[in-house]
Amino acid sequence: MTANPSRATTRRSFLKTSSGAGVAAALGGGALPLFHLRDSFAQGAEDPADILARINVGNYVDPQYRDQYSLADDDVLWDPAKDWIRTVDWEKVRTELSGTTVRFAIGAADTESAAAGLAPFEALSGITVELVPIPDDSMYDKVLAEFISGAASFDALQFFSPWLGDFAGPGFLAPLDDYAEKWNLALDDFYDTYRLNYGYFGDKGLYGIPFDCDIQMVHLRTSLVEQVTGGPIDKWNTVSTYDELIRLSGEMNGLADGVAGVGLMAGRGFWSTYTWEHVAAQHGMDLFNEDWEPAFESDAGIKALEVMLALQENAAQGIAGWGWPENRAAWLGGQLASNISWQDSGTQGTRPDQSNIVDDLVTIYEPRATLEGARFAPPNIAGSTSCVTASAQNPEGAFLMLAFLTTSSIMAMNEANANGVAPGQRSVLENEKLREVSQPAEVWANSLEYAWCAPRIPGMFEMEQSLGNEINKCIVGRSTPAEALKAGAESWRKIMKRNGFFSGSDPISYASVADATWAGKGKDLPF
Amino acid sequence: MSTVHPTTGPAADAAPGTAAPAPSRKRPPMTDAERRARKRRRRRSALAGSVLRYLILGSWAIFCLAPVVWFLSIGLRPRTEIITPQPIYWPSFSLDAWHMIWADWPMGAYLRNSVLAIVGSVIIDLALAIPAAYSLARYHYKGRDDIGFYILSTRMMAPAIVAIPIFFLFKNLNLLDSVWALMLVYAALNLSLVTWIIRSYMLDLPHEIEDAARTDGASDLSVLFLVIVPMCAPGIVTAAVIAAIFAINEFLFTLLIASTQNAYTLSVALANFTGGSDGIIYNAIALVAFIAFLPILLLVLVVQKHLSRGLTMGAVKG
Amino acid sequence: MATFAPASEPPPADAGKNGRAVRKPARRRPAWRRRLFPYLLVAPAVLYLLTITLYPGIYAIYQSLFFVRFDTWTFVGLDNYRELMGDEEFWMAMWNTVVIGGWALAIEFTIALTLAVLAYRDPFIRGWRIVFLLPMLFMPSAVSFIWKLAFNDGRVISDLLMGIGLIDGPLDFLGNVGLARLSLIVTDVWQWTPFLFIIFVAALQGQDPEVEEAARLDGASWWKLFWNISLPIMKPIIAVALILRAIDITTMFTSVFIITGGTPGGTTETISYFIYRIGFKTFNFGYASAASFVMLVITIVVAQLFVKRFFITSRA
Repeated sequence: MTANPSRATTRRSFLKTSSGAGVAAALGGGALPLFHLRDSFAQGAEDPADILARINVGNYVDPQYRDQYSLADDDVLWDPAKDWIRTVDWEKVRTELSGTTVRFAIGAADTESAAAGLAPFEALSGITVELVPIPDDSMYDKVLAEFISGAASFDALQFFSPWLGDFAGPGFLAPLDDYAEKWNLALDDFYDTYRLNYGYFGDKGLYGIPFDCDIQMVHLRTSLVEQVTGGPIDKWNTVSTYDELIRLSGEMNGLADGVAGVGLMAGRGFWSTYTWEHVAAQHGMDLFNEDWEPAFESDAGIKALEVMLALQENAAQGIAGWGWPENRAAWLGGQLASNISWQDSGTQGTRPDQSNIVDDLVTIYEPRATLEGARFAPPNIAGSTSCVTASAQNPEGAFLMLAFLTTSSIMAMNEANANGVAPGQRSVLENEKLREVSQPAEVWANSLEYAWCAPRIPGMFEMEQSLGNEINKCIVGRSTPAEALKAGAESWRKIMKRNGFFSGSDPISYASVADATWAGKGKDLPF
Repeated sequence: MSTVHPTTGPAADAAPGTAAPAPSRKRPPMTDAERRARKRRRRRSALAGSVLRYLILGSWAIFCLAPVVWFLSIGLRPRTEIITPQPIYWPSFSLDAWHMIWADWPMGAYLRNSVLAIVGSVIIDLALAIPAAYSLARYHYKGRDDIGFYILSTRMMAPAIVAIPIFFLFKNLNLLDSVWALMLVYAALNLSLVTWIIRSYMLDLPHEIEDAARTDGASDLSVLFLVIVPMCAPGIVTAAVIAAIFAINEFLFTLLIASTQNAYTLSVALANFTGGSDGIIYNAIALVAFIAFLPILLLVLVVQKHLSRGLTMGAVKG
Repeated sequence: MATFAPASEPPPADAGKNGRAVRKPARRRPAWRRRLFPYLLVAPAVLYLLTITLYPGIYAIYQSLFFVRFDTWTFVGLDNYRELMGDEEFWMAMWNTVVIGGWALAIEFTIALTLAVLAYRDPFIRGWRIVFLLPMLFMPSAVSFIWKLAFNDGRVISDLLMGIGLIDGPLDFLGNVGLARLSLIVTDVWQWTPFLFIIFVAALQGQDPEVEEAARLDGASWWKLFWNISLPIMKPIIAVALILRAIDITTMFTSVFIITGGTPGGTTETISYFIYRIGFKTFNFGYASAASFVMLVITIVVAQLFVKRFFITSRA
């Protein structure tokens, strides 16, 4: 199991060469090598409208997917009225910031394609972007080391959103409220759960723009499920509870050669934490109480672990070492009859160049739990956010660049490319055309109104690791659920103490994040 | 390498008719028939022994070779045929990965960095090790053994232990993400090995030539460089090759120090195919592994005679 | 091109141009300079190593006395060590390293020795020698990926075993302690048995063939031959090889990083991985430094006990 911190912080493949090359061709580059692109634009000379016209499906979406879904070059998968890049006054941007430079920290793997993806931004704004590559596997520690040194060598970065507290808490990030207002960032277009959890640090202000908006879901292999249930799949009712899922996975286990009943991530570190949070949230688990005391040693938390143990009986071999890469490979390779993982399992599974199970999968609504206190709380887990550093030399330019990258049209086309970068805007996920190319989109969008999310507090990175190690121990039978959660809670208290909690003045108040932890509070079920 | 004549194995037992065993205990002398029977038995058991021997050796050879061939097949197949419900043993042929690693990634830069870092570190090592080895081999002075031991002990330095301070050291020297930093680190990691290998070769040189040169009035330094070094050339080459093998393998430090194609080497380049939103791209990994493997294979073919001697630092004579 | 020493008198006329003549010292260097020379020769290497190892070593020791949080260092004295001694995970990591490393070493030693005894007189093997060397020539990270795919992701090993009929269903090489450790052991054995093999072969081939022949004519079985003649000769070499390999095995990291990540429940976490995890996942650098220091002390002690004996004293 590769211990890299995140699958989400790493390759931002919307900047992948295929679309990058498309952009290059579109922007008049044609056969020009990528590094000529910057030179070929006289800064701020071309009419913004012309540049914007070329940010479209024809140039950004992979040709084989365009064919697969019969997308026209100018198909609109978003709402142009809410698409920030088409509403902002680029002339104003040029007047104020043309000629300045922004330094963007990016996973080293992306450097080449990032240059192409940002070329339109440079043309539109007159701002030059310098990429600062950071090796994917050590993103967290490298970034931290840069922050600690006092003068980070970049103005903007995007990272795993659970770390928002770790970076915002000690003051390494710059507040973005003023810029968001000045440039009319379409913040309201984001679902609450994304806006509040990926963007705001409690009540201290806006510190990030949601970048890769995640949710964990349950996916099924249509043919195998229908074989067992005898009928078509109802996304809300077929697997209505976790007990159902356990039973179903048991019956599907071994139904086809080499196919296991279910797959889930139970590797050491935060993978286990995420799976457990996923299940436990449905059972009514809350991570903290109002005093920030860890509160997950509850019936809900324990039951969730028991569910995981039961699922393990029907799961593929080796889940105790699975992180996202292993789980994804197994699912797309066809080794699983059902899967508990992020929404990209549902999107990437539909692409023939990546998947062996095209046309044989469906993403369903979150199964409910039958415990006292259970709720419908689809988990918004992981994801990534994009921020400006406190020591930035060009904070406003950095903000504009991030606003460009996270704009709904580009994000919608990422989803069309199934590259793992997911949109979080209503105007995108509710778009009919987008739903045609993204299999999980409808279920995902409806689920977001009820989403559960862990608070972003300083120390969360370490806490997710330590709890995950305990959960992993339980999964492999070396501790009981109660023991595992107890050890986890103890380690959490220790870490939080080191980060300033329980000392009289908490870094952020629980009240400021309470609402963001469960967007479904007080709402009726969707069906 | 040993200059022993390859005598035949146990099959030799059957050879000459002189095999009348000198009895160490009192036994009635054997009749001819008995002797022939015994020879036949010996030959049979020798044959059986031979077959068994080749079976064992063959099995191990297969165990060595099979994963290599299989991994090559992984590199040359489409990605969707790698992870499947049942493993595919006869995949379709595809050069997807080959195109990907060269088109999407600066593979040339990685190769270049690997080569530069290795060559540079080996040069540094030789420059430092040859005088040191000579000193340890030919001179007697107080603390010589302790110094020698210290040099050897640096090999035991687990990378994880010193990784963090070295990272900060290079950061402060502004050497991060440069091939120079890699050269310095690799040189340090392998210096002990190189020194000891060269030392062992020097130990075996006859004293006479040196003394002759000295008597001619040569200074110590010229004795070293003009007399000793040429005579030790095989040992020096071996040490260089072994250092190269270990340098190309280095993973942890390279991971910490490098961040762009300025300094990424092949060993860390593998990480490109595991950390991204495409998951683990095995066919690409396989091909990169072979790209790194081939030059090492060639080097080893050249020096294989000397390899065992070098690896035991001369404890094995020959 | 000999440069003459700043001698006060020219060398005598019959000073030997060949080694057999009577030699008279031609050097007339000041004694102190002569004494200093060997130190000067060895100095650059030592200084270089000191910088790269002493500085981090001292830094690590210093840091181990603090609790490091970002850039605030709080002095905690020996607290890190106290905590370390009581840390279950640390001792587990030590134990794992001993178990996994020990088994790997034992297995590769046995196999290498067996193969070497079988192969050293064989003319065919000479030509095929390179096949036996292949595993060693791959990058350790690549080797780890090979076995990760074979054991876990691609389920090839399970499939082969099922094909022969040995097992019924796929094996869990990540959730079962024994199997997970086995996968690491196999990885190490595959890659490093060649290393021991060629050393042993060379040692055996260094035996005096006449002694061997004589013994064989005497009717000695191969076992007796091995036990009474080969083994005693090989003892120092075996020791050298084992020590080299043992040192490397204690730093086992790459395979753990790539294949298991320490799963199940930390039972395959070697001490190197433990240090890495503490340092780079919890950022408790002071604690990681303390663990590193303990490891350093252990390796030095072991080295002093064993290595010195075999290396220094075996060469006159």
